[in-house]
Amino acid sequence: MIILTPIKKTQYPIIAQCISPDVFQEKTLEQINNLPIWIGNKRRILSDLFKIEKTTENSPSIIINGDVSQVRRIGWGMTQGEIVVNGNAGMHLGKKMSGGKIVVNGNAEGWAGSEMKGGLLEIKGDAGDYLGSPYRGSTIGMRKGKIVVHGNVGSDAAVHMKSGLIKIHGNSGPFMGFRMTGGVIHIQKDAGTRLGACMTGGKIVVSGVLEDMLPTFAIEFIKGKVKIELGDKAIGPFFVFLGDLAENGRGKLFISKEKNPQLSQYERFL
Amino acid sequence: MSKINSVTCPVCGCLCDDIELTIADGIVAQVKNGCAMCEAKFFSHSNEHRLKTPLIRKDGKLVPTTYTVAVRKSAEILAKANYPILYGWSSTDSEAQRVGVELAEEVGGVLDNTAVVCHGPSILSVQEVGIPTCTLGQIRHRADLLIYWGCNPWSAHPRHLERYTAFTDGRFENSEWMSYLNKVKAAAGRKKIKSLERKGILKHRREREIPTVSDNKPTEILDKKGRKLIVVDVRKSMTAEIADYFLQVKPGKDYELIQGIRALVRDQELDVEEVAGVPVEYLQQLVDAMISCDFGVIFFGMGLTQSPSKFRNIDVAISLIRDLNMRTKFAIMPMRGHFNVTGANTVFTWQSGYPYAVDFSLGYPRYNPGETTVVDVLLRQESDAGLVIASDPVSNFPRKAVEHLVKNPLIVIDPHMNATSLVGDIIIPSSIVGVEKEGTAYRMDHVPLPLKKVVDPPKGVLSDEEILNRILKEVRKIKSNRLEAA
Amino acid sequence: MDLLIKNGFVYDPINGINGERMDIAIRNNKIVESVIEKNSKIIDATGLTVFPGGVDIHTHIAGSEVNTGRLVRPEDHEKDFVRKTSVTRSGVGYSIPSTFTTGYRYSLMGYTTVMNPSMAALEAKHTHEELNDIPMLDKATYPLLGDWWLVLETIQKGDLEECARYVAWMLEITKGYAIKIVNPGGLESWGFGRNVHSIDDQIPNFGITPRDIMCGLAKVNKMLNLPHTIHLHTNNLGVPGNYETTLDTMKCLESIPSNGKPVVHITHLQFSSFAGEDWGSFRSGAAEIAGYINNHDHVSCDMGQIIFTDTTTMTADGPFEYTLYQLSGHKWVNSDVETETSGGIIPFHYKRKNPVNAIQWSIGLELALLIKNPWKVFMTTDHPNAGPFTAYPKILAWLASKKARMATFKRLHKKAQKKSILPSIDRELSLYDIAIVTRAGQAKALNLKEKGHLGVGADADVAIFDLNPEKVDIANKFRTFRRAFTNTAYTIKGGKILAKDGEILQQAEGKTIWLDMQTKKEIEISEEIKKKFREYWTVEYENYPVSEHYIKNSSPIKIKADV
Repeated sequence: MIILTPIKKTQYPIIAQCISPDVFQEKTLEQINNLPIWIGNKRRILSDLFKIEKTTENSPSIIINGDVSQVRRIGWGMTQGEIVVNGNAGMHLGKKMSGGKIVVNGNAEGWAGSEMKGGLLEIKGDAGDYLGSPYRGSTIGMRKGKIVVHGNVGSDAAVHMKSGLIKIHGNSGPFMGFRMTGGVIHIQKDAGTRLGACMTGGKIVVSGVLEDMLPTFAIEFIKGKVKIELGDKAIGPFFVFLGDLAENGRGKLFISKEKNPQLSQYERFL
Repeated sequence: MSKINSVTCPVCGCLCDDIELTIADGIVAQVKNGCAMCEAKFFSHSNEHRLKTPLIRKDGKLVPTTYTVAVRKSAEILAKANYPILYGWSSTDSEAQRVGVELAEEVGGVLDNTAVVCHGPSILSVQEVGIPTCTLGQIRHRADLLIYWGCNPWSAHPRHLERYTAFTDGRFENSEWMSYLNKVKAAAGRKKIKSLERKGILKHRREREIPTVSDNKPTEILDKKGRKLIVVDVRKSMTAEIADYFLQVKPGKDYELIQGIRALVRDQELDVEEVAGVPVEYLQQLVDAMISCDFGVIFFGMGLTQSPSKFRNIDVAISLIRDLNMRTKFAIMPMRGHFNVTGANTVFTWQSGYPYAVDFSLGYPRYNPGETTVVDVLLRQESDAGLVIASDPVSNFPRKAVEHLVKNPLIVIDPHMNATSLVGDIIIPSSIVGVEKEGTAYRMDHVPLPLKKVVDPPKGVLSDEEILNRILKEVRKIKSNRLEAA
Repeated sequence: MDLLIKNGFVYDPINGINGERMDIAIRNNKIVESVIEKNSKIIDATGLTVFPGGVDIHTHIAGSEVNTGRLVRPEDHEKDFVRKTSVTRSGVGYSIPSTFTTGYRYSLMGYTTVMNPSMAALEAKHTHEELNDIPMLDKATYPLLGDWWLVLETIQKGDLEECARYVAWMLEITKGYAIKIVNPGGLESWGFGRNVHSIDDQIPNFGITPRDIMCGLAKVNKMLNLPHTIHLHTNNLGVPGNYETTLDTMKCLESIPSNGKPVVHITHLQFSSFAGEDWGSFRSGAAEIAGYINNHDHVSCDMGQIIFTDTTTMTADGPFEYTLYQLSGHKWVNSDVETETSGGIIPFHYKRKNPVNAIQWSIGLELALLIKNPWKVFMTTDHPNAGPFTAYPKILAWLASKKARMATFKRLHKKAQKKSILPSIDRELSLYDIAIVTRAGQAKALNLKEKGHLGVGADADVAIFDLNPEKVDIANKFRTFRRAFTNTAYTIKGGKILAKDGEILQQAEGKTIWLDMQTKKEIEISEEIKKKFREYWTVEYENYPVSEHYIKNSSPIKIKADV
């Protein structure tokens, strides 16, 4: 196990995609110390930024003790092992990860779990924008894996999501699940505007208040409860909407009936 | 006294190239064919407050210096910086922009243009869904349905209508100028009758005998022959006044409105009675007009790109055009503001692959608006030096971003003193591109046009291109010295 | 200093040299008879293969369409970036590399001359600005003239002389090299969202047919004595069953006097050799097309070979791109240009397991192998339409080795395998043939006299590959061959060593070649034409031409026309 403790603050962005169990594996402490990183436009090494210790425990996991909100690309493409961040984490956390586990005991910046292909990403605080969403211009969103956010989530999360699960204990920002084609999202509190815009498949469950309903969703029926994952059901009743009609979509929105009396006008279409 | 014809106007994205100038005693004496903005620009070169020598900040005060010193100091700042930003570029020529990319690459900086505060969102959407578009002449020749959405060309692009759209004669479509004049006359007449009625000279007549220009209901006006002009906006702008139909959308609800229209284009039924304050029945009529035209076009402006949900608005607008192309021919085009912001996007793209927000800090181009956009870099307080050229971020960036910009060494290259130069550390005056320097600019539809040099710049004043080249050379010198020293 | 390439196996088909061991002498930027050895820099090419610098007859590398393609594909660049070095600029790939990267990557493969085949005349300045920023290569570009209103109108009037004068004027002011025709008549129809579906369909509002345009411009091409033929992208491109249209197209041009020389170059022929009624019954029409070309001398062509990868399609054929959009639902760019042309862009992923793509792959190779004369068919991918140019070594391996073809073939969709005749073709191209289809043939078709060969007086453009033809049987050891052709041992252009063993040594500027047209009667631009100009385009007449100062390194060729 490797323990990283930040020893330096800097105003410049730090790119450190080497912080990943896959990279650290089978490397000596000295090799890890010398892994390349970028601070602003200057090439540096990992030990410029962190005190790095190796414990006797022989497991491919990394613990970061301290704030690394300026450090981007932690856990980039990781396939195994575990990263625990005891502090806030920077952008692109766990981007393209396909296995293993990342836990952040703090907040995560934008693009956390972007283009995720597997594994578990758990954020105990809030997540920034574009959680689990693809890179600019790409239509390959989250394909597998699980993201759990205990706090709130910014805008444009789960764009182009194809499969997998996102659980949000708090509120979500606008455009959650934009153009999603599959997978499950559960927002336990309130959802922002334009939820599920242009979605063509998958389901989004809102247990709290939905700020605004797009006109291009049509009500289908009312359902008592809905399955989130094995052993987890959300209890309703829920209005079930189908859309986005602008894309001839067949995605489903489950919106809590109790918390959203403003939607009762739709009941006349049932 | 001499006359110069076919001059390209370096003001807005229209790049009207039919300007006729009269030059007398080395200054522009007369401007023909141009709009008010065009005239102001061509007359501005002889403004007596023009800065003629570089300034440098010493003990908090700006004092005159030479180009050599200004260039050397600028190069030192940039060569030393860990994360410099190089911002602006939209009001200079592509020749200068080319050098700009090279400089940004050399100093490992973040290169960005003014698209970040205007049509950046449009670009993001184009990268998501593409864009069915065309050159402006195609619209002149063929378009019989013109929609201006969230923009007001009457004041921001004054000659757009007369050169490219409603008021031009094309091969297959004719100008609506006469019908517009009739409408204006009718409106004036109506006003007169009203006033006579008020004074009791005329007896009150039934309203319908005097046709109204438009209310918020698409009437038979959409069945009219010839070109149809529709304006969608949150308020009735000047352009809306002359339109055949004005559709008023609730502020911030463009997204819902377009999604609603899309569903109707796809023959879906909506479970609501109105969308964004517009009855679905009206929308249906609008959709019928869109589907039944031969060639339709939507021009959109900052009303759409800078209202809530920004780039998703454009995403959905472009998606609408994609849908409409299944039924008829339709195009869409952003109304670009600065005369060469399109050029900045174009040049950046061919050299680096990306149109704006290009981060060279890792030695190769990297692009992620939100992360590598200059405004966001400044808001996160990451940069440690700045070069601003041909723009004025201090007057239009968020306050917190400006504070960080000013906190670090700031180089400003501009023909005129502006809010940014007042707070800069090195101010380098340059010649006015398209007036005192020739070059190339790209029109809003990506048509490249030559810019002319019509008068000489003030004695000793260099062009943007030359200044940047000198800084680049100096930066390379510093870096190679440093390498030798090491 | 002079340069002497010693003792390599030289392949120079234009001069009939087939793998002889000999020296190549270079002084300044030209190949010369001999140089004094002790005063020269020596490249020991013993055991290496020496080719003329590569020539690409059709590759979309610059201009508004290409650049819009770059703009819409950040996700394509993100995975393929190039760091700046002390001699080279940074950039990105993959399918549409940025300008500098384009130059470097071509140079690393031994290419020295490339043709940009699609330029809207109105946007010609843009194309040339980009060409200026593509180092390492000599370049030329073809303006799109097939649907230009003045061409349509003069052909409708039956006045080919006037048409020829307009074309000459256009070639010169756009600094172009050849007449490019794309889906003749279809692009004008696309202005109102329609298309033409045979060479005898009426073009709306103009009362002529694609046949009239093609025959008219082929004749104009003769009248102007242009170095290249008309460069044609056929009607119905990309439509099942279109091989019949392609046959009709070739037949309709039989009547143009040819003296045994081609009068038309049909580009990316693979896309025009589809048989079957629809995508379900889709199959190859390559045998029929190749049969025709084998019996006629008035056609040359290039492959447009499919590569199984994620690429970006871009063509002036707007209606074709729209069809692709309907098939894929992917992001779609359409860009019509007033009075001239249209254009479209769609990202596209060709997949082995897609039966149509797999058959397309087979069609390209069938064409190249069934057309017996290598001087008639050249290797291209119609970059980036069927795949990026960086995949050329793969194609060469498929052409030179049945083993290589079958290795890929076995992984194709089973249905496609059953339909393909590829396993029955045993032909394998020799290094001599490879030199023809990648440089000599292309230079000859373009009539670039100083390119594509190593004779005295030729430009000193040389590609040296780390391949010993005496030791390596390329048909058997296709991987070794492919590796050798991926990065040259040396790329020499204009007498300068630009690349060595996969590394760029120095950046050099290339020339832009264009036609300086000398018509007997100067084309008169009367006030009336200027007025017409103002009506047809939205720019002033004076602002339309590409003045020579736009071209960093201008290399005009004087052409005396018969009109």
